[in-house]
Amino acid sequence: MSESLIDVAAPEATHPDDQFDTRRRPGLWTALRRGKGLAGLILIGAVVALGLLGPLLAPHGPTEQIPGANLVGPSGAHWLGTDEVNRDILSRTLYGIRTDLLVVFLAVPIGAAIGILVGLVSSWWTFTDVLAQRLFDLVLAFPTLILAIGLTAFVGPGLRTVFFVIVAVELPVFGRLTRTSVRTVREMPYVEAAHVVGAGSLWQLRRHVLPNSLEPLLVQLAVSMSVAVFIEGAMSFLGLGVRPPQPSLGSLIRDGVRNMYDAPFFAVGPLAVVVALVLGLLLVSQALAEARRA
Amino acid sequence: MTDPEGTTVTTPLLEVTDLAISFSHPRPAVRSVSVTVDEGEVVALVGESGSGKSMTARAVIGLLPDGAKATGSVRLRGEELLGLPEPELIRYRGRRVAMVFQEPQTALNPVRTIGWQIGEALRAHGGVRGKAARARAVDLLREVEIPDPEERLGYYPHQLSGGQKQRVVLALALANEPELLLADEPTTALDVTVQAEILALLRRIRDRTGTSILIITHNMGVVAHLADRVVVLRQGEVVEEAATRDLFADPRHAYTRQLLAAVPRLPGPDERVHAVTDDDVPAVAADAVAALEYDDVRVHYGSRMRGRVLPAVDGVTLRLERGQVLGLVGESGSGKTTLGRLAAGLVPLAGGSVRVGGEDLVRARGQRRVDLRRRLAFVHQDPEASLDPRFSIAEAIREPLDVHAVGSRKDRDVRVTELLDAVRLPASFARRRPRELSGGQRQRVALARALTLDPELLIADEPTSALDVSVQAEVLELFADLQQRLGFACVFISHDLAVVNKVADQVAVLRAGRVVESGSAARVFGAPTHDYTRQLLAAVPVPDPTVRDATGPALREQHIAS
Amino acid sequence: MGHYLLRRLPSALVVLAIASFGIFALVRMVPGDPVSSLAGPDATPEARAAIRADLGLDQPLVTQYVHWLGRLAHGDFGTSYRIGGQVKDLVADGAVNTIVLTVTALLLAAIVALVASVLAVVLDNRWVNAALSFGNTLAIALPTFVTGLVLILLFAVVFPVLPAGGTPPDGFLARPDIAAQYLLLPAVCLALGAGAALTRFLTEALRTELRQPYVTTARALGIPRRRIVLTQALRNALPSAVTVLGIQFGTLLGGAVLVEAIFTWPGLGGLIEEAISGRDYPLVQVLLLLSVVVFVAIQLLTDVIHAWLDPRVRIGGAS
Repeated sequence: MSESLIDVAAPEATHPDDQFDTRRRPGLWTALRRGKGLAGLILIGAVVALGLLGPLLAPHGPTEQIPGANLVGPSGAHWLGTDEVNRDILSRTLYGIRTDLLVVFLAVPIGAAIGILVGLVSSWWTFTDVLAQRLFDLVLAFPTLILAIGLTAFVGPGLRTVFFVIVAVELPVFGRLTRTSVRTVREMPYVEAAHVVGAGSLWQLRRHVLPNSLEPLLVQLAVSMSVAVFIEGAMSFLGLGVRPPQPSLGSLIRDGVRNMYDAPFFAVGPLAVVVALVLGLLLVSQALAEARRA
Repeated sequence: MTDPEGTTVTTPLLEVTDLAISFSHPRPAVRSVSVTVDEGEVVALVGESGSGKSMTARAVIGLLPDGAKATGSVRLRGEELLGLPEPELIRYRGRRVAMVFQEPQTALNPVRTIGWQIGEALRAHGGVRGKAARARAVDLLREVEIPDPEERLGYYPHQLSGGQKQRVVLALALANEPELLLADEPTTALDVTVQAEILALLRRIRDRTGTSILIITHNMGVVAHLADRVVVLRQGEVVEEAATRDLFADPRHAYTRQLLAAVPRLPGPDERVHAVTDDDVPAVAADAVAALEYDDVRVHYGSRMRGRVLPAVDGVTLRLERGQVLGLVGESGSGKTTLGRLAAGLVPLAGGSVRVGGEDLVRARGQRRVDLRRRLAFVHQDPEASLDPRFSIAEAIREPLDVHAVGSRKDRDVRVTELLDAVRLPASFARRRPRELSGGQRQRVALARALTLDPELLIADEPTSALDVSVQAEVLELFADLQQRLGFACVFISHDLAVVNKVADQVAVLRAGRVVESGSAARVFGAPTHDYTRQLLAAVPVPDPTVRDATGPALREQHIAS
Repeated sequence: MGHYLLRRLPSALVVLAIASFGIFALVRMVPGDPVSSLAGPDATPEARAAIRADLGLDQPLVTQYVHWLGRLAHGDFGTSYRIGGQVKDLVADGAVNTIVLTVTALLLAAIVALVASVLAVVLDNRWVNAALSFGNTLAIALPTFVTGLVLILLFAVVFPVLPAGGTPPDGFLARPDIAAQYLLLPAVCLALGAGAALTRFLTEALRTELRQPYVTTARALGIPRRRIVLTQALRNALPSAVTVLGIQFGTLLGGAVLVEAIFTWPGLGGLIEEAISGRDYPLVQVLLLLSVVVFVAIQLLTDVIHAWLDPRVRIGGAS
C-alpha cells in the first residue's frame, strides 16, 4: 500500500493506488462455482431433482401394494426392493424426498425469517434485547431433540409437528445470530457516520446494518438446512414425525431398522439420499464460510 | 563505542545484502535492500507503509509470513542466516538476535504470568532454571526499570500499563543477552510521554550492554533521537543511507527531503523566545454566538448499577468561535475523543451543557434535533471503517443529501462531482468502492462527505493518525485550504501536538478529563504555563538530532516512573 | 472465584423457577386427559371425580404447583400413572445408564478432539489436514441414526463381534471388560458428531491463536513452535473450548435419546418417550425439569470454569 507521492504534482493522475487492489472482492456466490461449493451444489441439485421429478420417475405409487412382492431384494423390477407390506421402496424413497424438501426449503426459511425479524427488531432497544436474549438462551439451552420431544408432547406427532419444531429451533438460532451480527455492524463507524448526518434508526437498519449483516446468516441457513434433514430423520425415526403410510426419509430408515436382519438392503437407498443431502448442504455452508473469511 | 566511525570493524555484526522478498502478488514487498549494523550501533530503517522496512527486519530473524520468498543474503558476524532450516534458526532467535514489536497490548501471552514468560524465554536456550531463573527474571525487570520486580513476576499482562508491557517485551528480548536487537516501531502504539521513556531506556540499554539496535520506524523524531545511522527505504528499495546528523542536515535524495519536509513540527526552543499572549486572538464581540460551547460538561463511563462510575470528562468549559479551529490534545484517557463525540451528540451527557450555534444539541428533540444535526459533521479516525463497504463513493458522499431529501437526484449528483473536485479526487472515483481506494483517498472521501451539507461545525477525530506522514501532509493542507474557503468551525482532535499546531487557532490541553491549559495555539505551544503542557512538549521527539545532544536525555530523566 | 459464582447464581435460579412453572403449566394444558386414560372409556362420573381428587387435579394450578415443589423438596417425586412405581426409582435407573453413556461419549470426544487438533496444528502437513478435514465433514454430515445403523450392520450383523444393543447383564462394575463391549458401539456412535465438532473448533481456535502477536514474540525468542502450541496456544484456546464442550454435552444428552433407541439402551431417552406417549404427567414433569436443571447447571459450570481459566476475568481490572 504505497502512498508516498509528494513527488508527484497531480496526486490523482499517476497515483500508484490506481493499480492498487482494483479487483473487487469476489462475491460469496463464486465460492459455489468451484471445489467444495460446487460438489455440495451438485449433491443438493441431484436430490432436489429426484424429489421434484419423483412422480414421473417412480414406477409405483408411494402406498401402492404390489401383490406377491413381500420384502423382495433389489431386482430389475424393484431397484431397491420392497417392504414388508409389499410397497416399492424406490417409489417410497422418491416421494419421501419430497417431504424432506418441504421441511428443508420451507420450514427452515420460515423459521429463519421470523428469527431474523425478531433479532433485528429486538436488538435495537436495550430492554427488548435483554428479554429476547434470555428467551433465546433458554430455548437454545435445550438440545434440539429434547425440544422436539417436548413439543410433540403438546401437539402430537405428525409432519406439522416436524415443521413446528424446526421453526421453533431455528427461530432463536437466527435471532441470536442476527443480534450478534447487527451489534457488530452497528458499532461500525460507518453506521455512526449515518447517525451523525441525521439518518434515523430505520434508515440505518435498512441501508447499512441489514445488508452488511446478511452474509453470516447465509452460511447459517445452509447449516440449518442440513440440521433440518437431521431433525426430520430423527423425529420420524423415533416415531414423532411423519405418520404412516406417508413416506419420509426418516420413517423409511425407521422401517429399514425394523427389518434389518431380514432385509439389510432396505435402508440403503434412503440412507444414501439423507447422506447426500446433508453432505451437500454442509459442503455449501463450509464453502461459503471459507469464502467469507478470505 | 557509540561512535561507529571510531571502531575498526572488519566484518559488521549484521550484513544484509541485496535482500528481496516476494509473495504471490505481482509486486515484490522488498526489491533490493542492503543494510549493515556494526557492533554497538543504532541503525534506523525509515520508510512509509509499503516501504518493506518491517519485512526486512522479519527476514533477518526468519519470521516472514507464510508464502514469502526471500533471496539475497543476511549475515550475522559472517554466518549466513537466510535459508537456514527452522531448527537452526531457533538457536539464533532470542539468543543472538532478538526482536521487539509494535503493539505491547498483544505481544504478551494474556493467560501466563510475566515470570512464566521470562522463564520460558530463558528455558528456550537451556539457560538457568528454578531459583536462579527467578533471580535472573528479577534482574531483567530491574534492567528495564520496572518498579517492584519481585511482585510483578506474578502479574498477568493485563495488570500492567502499556508502557510497562513494552518494558516486559524488552526484558524478554534481553533475556538471553542478544548481540542485535530488532525493534519494529517499538513506541508507535504508546503515548508520547511513555514513548519518550522507552526511547530513553533503549538508549541506556545500548550504552550499558553494547547491544546493537536496528530500529524500524516511520517517525523522524524517533530517528533523530535514537539512531547513529539512517537507512531510508521506499517501495522496497534503499533510497539513501547516511549518518543521522548528515541526513537531517543535508538530505541528498529528493524523497528524503520531501519526507523531512512533510513532518509537522512544533516551534523549537529558539522560536519560543518571543512569547505570544492569548491576546493575539482576534477579538470577538461578547454577544456573538459561538459555533460550539461546552459549559461545565461532565461525562461518566461505567454503570451506576455496578457502582463503578468513572469520569471521562470532568467539568470542561470551552468556547469555539465561528470559523475557528479548536485543537484538543492529550494522551489516551484524557477525554479528548469523548469531548468530540459529545459535540456530535454521540455520548450521553451527565452534567453541564453543550451548545452548537447557541442551541442545546443534547436536549433538542424531533425535527429540531435533525435540523441541528444538519449543521454539524464528523470525520472519523479510521477512513476504512467509516465508509460502508457496500456503498460506492458517490453513494457515500450523497447519503447526507438523501437522508435530508435535499434537491433532486440530479442536483445531488452534481453536488457529488463538486465535492470530489473540492477534495481533489477525479470524478471517475464516484463509481468505485471504498476498498479500491488508498487510506489517504478514503479520508478525502470522508472529508467530502462531511462537507456535503455545508456544515457550520466539523468535528475531526484524529483524522490523519492512520495515514503516512506524506499523505498526512497532503490531507492537512487540503483541510486547511477547505477550512479557509468554506469558513466552518472545527474541533480537531489529535494526540500529535505538531499536527494540531499546524491546523489549530485555539488549543486546549486535556488530562484525565480536565482542561489543563487552553489558549491560542501559538501561545500554548510557544509559551506553555502549565507543567503538564511543558512535559508533553518536551516528550515529543524533535526531528533534529542536534536537539537530543543538547537537551534531550536530561529533560527526560525526570519522568521515568509512571 | 466464589464471588463470580455468586453473581451468576441468581439468574440461574430465576431461569429454573420460570422453567419449572412453565413445564408444570404446559403439561397440564396438553390435550388428552390422564383421568380418562386411567379410568377407561366407560367409567362413571363418580369414579372419574374420585380419580381426579386422588391425583389432586381438582385444585387450582398454582396450588398444585406449590404442592408439587414442596413434595419435590422432600424427595417425593410422585408415582407414575402408567408404568407404575415411584418416579424417583424409574428416573434413577434410567439416569445411571444415560450418564454412563453420555459421559463416556463426552470423554471420548474430548480426547479425540484434543489429540487430533494438536496433531493437525503441530504437524501442519497438507495431507494430514486434508484427511482430518474429510473425516470431520463426514462425521458431522452423517446423522446419528445413520452411523448407528452402519455400526450395527458392520460389527453386529456382518462381523458379529460386539453386541447389537442392550446394557451389560451384570451391570457396569462387576465385569468391566464385558461392560466395555456393550458400551463401545453406542458411545462411539454418540461421540462421533460431538468429537468432530470439537476437533473442528479446537483446530480452528489453535490456528487463530498461532496467528496472535504473542506467538510471534515467543517464536522470536527462539521457542520451538511445538512447545508454543502445547504451553501457550492450547492454554489460550482452552477457555472457549470448555464453553463449546458444555454445549456439546447438551447436544450429547439430546443425541442420547436417539442412540438409546437405536441400541435399545434402557436410559432416560426411552423413559421420556414412553412417558410422553402415555401422558404420564408426574414422570414427564420430572424428566423435563431434570433436563432444565442439567442444562442450567452445565451452563453455570462452563461459565465458572471459563472465568477461572482466564486470568483477565479471574483477577480483573488493569492497574
